[in-house]
Amino acid sequence: MTDLVDSMLDLMRRLPPMHVEENVAALVGMCPDYADDLLGSVDQPLKVMVDRATGREYLACDYNRDGESYRSPWSNEYDPPLDDGTVPSAKLRKLEVIANEAFDTYREMYYEGGVSSVFLWDLEDGGFAGVVLMKKSLTSSSPSEPSGAWDSIHVFEVAERGRQAHYKLTSTIMLSMVDRGVGQSSKEDKVEAKRDGEVTISGSMTRQTEQDHSLQDQNSHITNIGRMIEDMEIKMRNLLQEVYFGKTRDVVFDLRSLEDLEKARRQRELQKELVGFIKR
Amino acid sequence: MDSDERIQAASKFLLQSPPGEINDVLNDVRNIISDDESLQTGILPALREYNLAQFITADVPGHQHQCIVSEAARVQAQGEEEDEERRDRFWDPRSRTSFRFDHLALEASEPEPIEPETEAEPFRLALENASLTYLAAHFHDGVTSVFPTQGNAERFVVQVVANKYNPSNFWSGRWRSEYIVNLAERTLEGKILVNVHYYEQGNVQLSTTHTVSLELPQTISAESAPASASKILALIETEESKYQTSLNAAYQEMSEKTFKGLRRALPMTRAKLDWEKVLGYKLGQELSASKGGFAAA
Repeated sequence: MTDLVDSMLDLMRRLPPMHVEENVAALVGMCPDYADDLLGSVDQPLKVMVDRATGREYLACDYNRDGESYRSPWSNEYDPPLDDGTVPSAKLRKLEVIANEAFDTYREMYYEGGVSSVFLWDLEDGGFAGVVLMKKSLTSSSPSEPSGAWDSIHVFEVAERGRQAHYKLTSTIMLSMVDRGVGQSSKEDKVEAKRDGEVTISGSMTRQTEQDHSLQDQNSHITNIGRMIEDMEIKMRNLLQEVYFGKTRDVVFDLRSLEDLEKARRQRELQKELVGFIKR
Repeated sequence: MDSDERIQAASKFLLQSPPGEINDVLNDVRNIISDDESLQTGILPALREYNLAQFITADVPGHQHQCIVSEAARVQAQGEEEDEERRDRFWDPRSRTSFRFDHLALEASEPEPIEPETEAEPFRLALENASLTYLAAHFHDGVTSVFPTQGNAERFVVQVVANKYNPSNFWSGRWRSEYIVNLAERTLEGKILVNVHYYEQGNVQLSTTHTVSLELPQTISAESAPASASKILALIETEESKYQTSLNAAYQEMSEKTFKGLRRALPMTRAKLDWEKVLGYKLGQELSASKGGFAAA
């Protein structure tokens, strides 16, 4: 019998990404014993929260959650407040503060808006791990303008080996776009008609990489992870572009052909005949 | 969650299956529920609903073509005898065959000859011929069925479905369209639904809806069946080609505006970040801020 978690993950790989939250909730309801496995391995859209102390926005996901509360990277406080909420060690928190500032700059350079958050946690074997989150949403200003959302989740693990460190990075990007202005009637229409419709492309893609980089000091971790994430996002942005606008479109045009297939067939036959005629 | 609620949740999953993946979803659900007995009887309504909504196709017993199994294909029960057995009888007007459809095995069996209502048949047949011609012109692996409406000789349902399943390359797609032709009201009402699933190291889905309603030209009448049917399919062809072209424009718009607006390919500087500087930036900002403070003081 296949592992239950494998079946759940296979299911989540097939069901519409637009409904990932309600489907995960339904699965958790069906198999409460596996809630942690499921919540830890299925990426869900990031929630935007507001830090009560600083008024600054941050992102909430499974990695900064403790019970029902989420920790802000800016004030290090939990919301709703927790007296004994898990926080990184003082040394790691220092790095977390610098990482948040660095990725905030990165976010501004590439996203020109949106929200970012970095969370770090200590690992039992002495290393540490973390997650870099980025989210940007575009709401449409008019019904004919498309809207969209981009969520990046980069989870990494760091193992120091002297002056070197080994990094393992798993990146997931969730991207969704909705266009409600497709195929509506225009003035050039010869026939009077009422039309309405919507196009949605949504989903997520995940990639992994492992690399070794040298260390000068603790801050080297941020430059190393920063470069890895930057390269990964550039690579994945190209991949998303290819899949979203290339592959899915190709399938549509594979289902239905714009050109008349019968005409094309007749033309090919005619051509063959002509070639045969000339050869004779 | 009790057993019934679990079956209900499972049914919701099944109804969301991407094209050609209902068996994969069913396998997952079966493992999660791990109670084959309650599953088998419990999910039948969901399977039936899914198949009818998705225009699932069946090999017509004793014939070389396929037909669409949908709500419009249902054989109307005679009188009051609406039992489970009769519920899953559908018919293919093209071969005048009715059959029982197994929603789990997706197979047609127990074929029986069936006679269509004579009054509607000439126009239905003309629509069917025109629709088959249209299908061959624009769909690689399409199936079309044209159904009459019981008790209304002037209302017809034209359905088209095209599927492409390519599990070895992790994608599948389905095009569905349906048109209600109403000669008495001179209307053509259609909808087009496209679904694409791409799932190599990810899960990306395209889902589109489109509805259209237009008036039928005066020249269309039940008397001139072949010419009118060709004209109706020409309207459908124009509409679908136009829709496909507008889909192309939507792709363009989402790629040019939304995608680029969400994340740039490179920063405005057209170069990747200098991470050493990024780290120094905040420090530098603080330094200049405190310098400014000193100067002011």
